[in-house]
Amino acid sequence: MSRYRTIINKALASLLVVLLISFNNAVFAADGEALFKANCSNCHKPDADYTGPALKGWSDREPSKEWIYKWVANPAQMIATDAYAKALFEKWKPTVMTAFSNLKKEEVDAIMKYVDDYTPPVATAAANGSSSEGEGSDNSLLYGILTLTLAVVAFILLQVNSNLRKLSDEKEGVDRGEPVPFYRNKTYIMALILLLFVIGGYFVVNGAMGLGRQKNYQPVQPIYYSHKVHAGTNQISCLYCHGSAQDSKHSGIPSVNVCMNCHMAIKEYKGDPIITEDGKTLDANAEIQKLYQYAGWNPDTKQYNADNNKDGVPDGAKPIPWVRIHNLPDHVYFNHSQHVKVGKQQCQTCHGNIQEMPEVYQFTDLSMGWCVNCHRETKVDFYNKESKEGNKFYSIYEKFHNDIKNHKMDSVTVEKIGGTECQKCHY
Amino acid sequence: MKKIATIVVLVLTASIAFIGCDNKRETGKIYMPDMAYSRAYETYAQRDSAAFTTDATAKGAKIYYDNNPVQGTIKRGELFPYTLPNDSNGYKMSATVMNPIAAMTEAQMKEAGRLFNINCAICHGEKGAGNGPIATAGKIGGIANLTLEAYVKMTDGTMFHSLTYGKNNMGSYASQLSRDQRWMVIKYVRSLQPKPATEAAAAVSDTTKKI
Repeated sequence: MSRYRTIINKALASLLVVLLISFNNAVFAADGEALFKANCSNCHKPDADYTGPALKGWSDREPSKEWIYKWVANPAQMIATDAYAKALFEKWKPTVMTAFSNLKKEEVDAIMKYVDDYTPPVATAAANGSSSEGEGSDNSLLYGILTLTLAVVAFILLQVNSNLRKLSDEKEGVDRGEPVPFYRNKTYIMALILLLFVIGGYFVVNGAMGLGRQKNYQPVQPIYYSHKVHAGTNQISCLYCHGSAQDSKHSGIPSVNVCMNCHMAIKEYKGDPIITEDGKTLDANAEIQKLYQYAGWNPDTKQYNADNNKDGVPDGAKPIPWVRIHNLPDHVYFNHSQHVKVGKQQCQTCHGNIQEMPEVYQFTDLSMGWCVNCHRETKVDFYNKESKEGNKFYSIYEKFHNDIKNHKMDSVTVEKIGGTECQKCHY
Repeated sequence: MKKIATIVVLVLTASIAFIGCDNKRETGKIYMPDMAYSRAYETYAQRDSAAFTTDATAKGAKIYYDNNPVQGTIKRGELFPYTLPNDSNGYKMSATVMNPIAAMTEAQMKEAGRLFNINCAICHGEKGAGNGPIATAGKIGGIANLTLEAYVKMTDGTMFHSLTYGKNNMGSYASQLSRDQRWMVIKYVRSLQPKPATEAAAAVSDTTKKI
């Protein structure tokens, strides 16, 4: 019995030791991670070159541990005195590493351990699938089948009726002559013609109304730019890229430098796989490379190409020929800033749930009826004197109203409500 | 009878013609194109390459269209251009540049906050602590926590220099924020930062004086 007890004791003790060691290690590693994120991650990544070199394998690469301590404490001095440090600077200039003289040797060790043990997090390929497909589809097919069945039943009943009449006629000995077959019966033919006319007319009217309208238009763009990834997953504000929507008539297409604000650093796509409209899996990294082509950016040297031909842009850079989706006819004036800034409309009101569209399509038909409908329903946000919010533009109406009531004026001319402003007619 | 048949056939063919062209990759058909397409050049409209050129060397043969604003002109109401060059010397000198906005009204502050949330908070976080959605997802490293002492000490001019030309992983915001707006956003960032020790002490002594 006592032998068992010693064995159990030993086992427990060793377990405790193992636990302590592993626990200690965990704390150590976490420390390294925290230190790395606080001090180094501004310029370094563990497994990829960034503003500075990738740090993985750092401790093996550099001359000695002592060298690393010295380098971290004062890189500028090392560059001046040490040959290896000088070579390193030549490779990464003009950026000089910031001195971290506050980091202790143990802390540098912890960071080294963290970067050496670092393994990139595996992207969770959560294929959410399109499960909602077919769900809640409209009932027109059902109604169609029902109508067809009823029509067939009616037709059969009519035939039965005529047959029965024929039988009773024979029984009573009345001779009505050879009955006309249904396909030569004028009633049937007239009904068929009417039916075809109604169906045809329906499609003609609908088709004619659809002329010049492009609801659901979804052109192939030069770069597969997913609004779902940018505005949805990454929560970038619409106005970050389309800022001119609040200042001007047009909601501008961002110039390539706006893309490069983020894509200087983001070189590859690591999110869920993107399935294109054709059902293929998209090579998103190739799309980012296309952007670099248009921007004239070299992702390896992390610099724009030189401007040797002096046209003001890096050599090889050119604008991206995006395909315009929303297009109003020339005889319609539409101003984005009026709607976004003054009317405080959400982008989604007209453009649909852009943040869920991998490829953008036209969500509304942009017809006059659709415009007018919204203008009929949307309430004007009048200026509120207490909360000091709302649209001051219409406060003049209130003034006229009071002036007429107080007999300061007897009527309001068109001029008074802006009738002689040039823009009323000339824009 | 024949007339009716002709009408029916016509209507049917017309309807088939209309249904037949339903492809989401195409713009579809249009009638009266002279009312739909502008004769004047509109924003983003394709320029007629037979008449226009953007190549300065081809000037004369075709109409030269320069995308850049005329040299030496600025937008109405816009501040004068920032002249310090985009190099290490310019960066150093930027520390002496003063913010032309001394104090902001409540409305200006609100607007600056809105601009900050649109353009900056995506990385720097709504409180400027360097924890915006892009930062927490680890997509871009090295995002500055603007509430740290280094940034409290950084002058408005240096911040403006970085906003104008970009710094490290941050791109230039000159195309997204006007000069005025950049200075406003810097003022807003100041409001997110903890007060420097001396200023806080001064504020405390102020209140004690009042008492």
